[in-house]
Amino acid sequence: MIRWLGAFVVLSGAAFLLGDYHNDVYRKMLLWVTLALGYNFLFGICGQVSFSHFAFYGIGAYSVVILLFQLNAPLPLAIILGIAICVVIALVVAIPSTRLEGFYLALATLALAQLFVVLLNEGGSVTGGTGGIANYRLPAIFGMQIRGPWYTGVIVSLLLGTYFLLQKLDRSWFGRACRAVRDNPEAAAAMGINVARTKAIAFTLTSALAGVAGMVYAFVDNTVNPPIFGLENAFLLLFMVIVGGSGRHAGAIIGAALLFLLPFWLSPLVGHHHVLVFGVLMLAAILLQPKGLVGIWDRFSKSAG
Amino acid sequence: MGSILQVRGLTKRFGGLTAVSGLDFEVREGEILGMIGPNGAGKSTTFNLIAGVYPASSGEILFRKESLLGLPPHQIAARGILRTFQHNRPFEGMPVIDNVLVGAHRLFSGSSRREETARRIRAEELIEFVGLGGMALADVGTLSFGQGRLLEIARALAGEPRLILFDEPAAGLAPAELDRLSEIIRGIAAHGIAVLLIEHDMHFLLPLAHRVVVLNFGAKIADCLPDEIRQHPAVTDAYLGLDAART
Repeated sequence: MIRWLGAFVVLSGAAFLLGDYHNDVYRKMLLWVTLALGYNFLFGICGQVSFSHFAFYGIGAYSVVILLFQLNAPLPLAIILGIAICVVIALVVAIPSTRLEGFYLALATLALAQLFVVLLNEGGSVTGGTGGIANYRLPAIFGMQIRGPWYTGVIVSLLLGTYFLLQKLDRSWFGRACRAVRDNPEAAAAMGINVARTKAIAFTLTSALAGVAGMVYAFVDNTVNPPIFGLENAFLLLFMVIVGGSGRHAGAIIGAALLFLLPFWLSPLVGHHHVLVFGVLMLAAILLQPKGLVGIWDRFSKSAG
Repeated sequence: MGSILQVRGLTKRFGGLTAVSGLDFEVREGEILGMIGPNGAGKSTTFNLIAGVYPASSGEILFRKESLLGLPPHQIAARGILRTFQHNRPFEGMPVIDNVLVGAHRLFSGSSRREETARRIRAEELIEFVGLGGMALADVGTLSFGQGRLLEIARALAGEPRLILFDEPAAGLAPAELDRLSEIIRGIAAHGIAVLLIEHDMHFLLPLAHRVVVLNFGAKIADCLPDEIRQHPAVTDAYLGLDAART
């Protein structure tokens, strides 16, 4: 408990030491780490290749903004309804597709991610079309306006809450069932695991977590617009987990932080060519170290110890 | 002793081919029932019908008087029938003890730390029982083929089965490993767990089984004590005939 509290103080406190620009980079990194943790549970631990995780981030963000500012719902109701929307959409995708082999989930989620962006662009006044929705403010909570570095505290709570929950799940019988389903579905079924249901629960749960992260994201820039929620970021999330080391929480954290920050370091050195460097690094990581960066760390610490 | 599993008129057709036809047999509480037959006799099909991998074309399978027909594999496991695989199927990404704990899946009632600890202790006992003591934290990739087979058994036992199904457990094992395996299977039966053993290797099976069912071309040709089998004319024709001619 003290460790979690300490992590909260340190991670939130850092925001007050950073300037406006760096704080913005910092909290977006924290959001990526949160997303990667959830995606790692789905892809790395449960073995489901899904491309809709980032779309659920968008669904959460748009839902809360539309509910709050187009429909004038109060904040707690908007949050609950936003989660409910994510859960329902996740179940609609998961129940039919997780019963089939993995490939179909990939296709179904790819279609969902594409459809979502189309709907955002064509949504007229509801979604704000291509320009999205902007110029809103987080409603006061108990009369308090949470702004600037204080809002980073909200993001840190989200990150730690997500991490706590996923770690607890991972260490329980449910996490073991997820890994069993990933490693050998037939043997998992023979041990009494309902494979389809386990997959559907993991998918729905992680999608809802992505939705909650999206709700928090909506008040980072106080604008939501379609380009952010495109497929490019869905693939970036996949790369983060693979490069960091899929199936490991530490891998998701390292991968997300590194791949998010890399362009900031590379751009001044090589300009727009940073994308190329990025691609080469990615290939090298996948080909040379399939266990990701945590795999390198493991080998290093083993030979040292 | 009462019967725990009753199979009646079990039939499985794959298109025009009848793999199992009108099969009747039973497994009694606490016994080791061996099922043998030449290649293609329908042993594996029978095994897969009981384990819920294939649906039966007709007939009935009763486990403790309850029908198993139409149930998927996980629900069959949930009723207390656990199995091993002929080709080891470990969960590669987990250490030995977690593999065994997956076997205990059906017993978990919540996620309390106390329950997790108790099941972990039980899993370590089972790892010890099958002879993998000290390897609880080993990566499954480091196990030999024979050790992998022992892990299959510990994993199935972790679910506290009432009936355990062995799919050719002797396949691919060295003679010394076979002795160990016989000992383990006897130990399992001694704990009151019924055993159905599908096996190709007669020399391994006959000293071990309490009763033997012999299949040929998908039908039962004998149901007798292991000692009687060498005198059984249908069996010597179908199965041992080949062996007898060779020796």
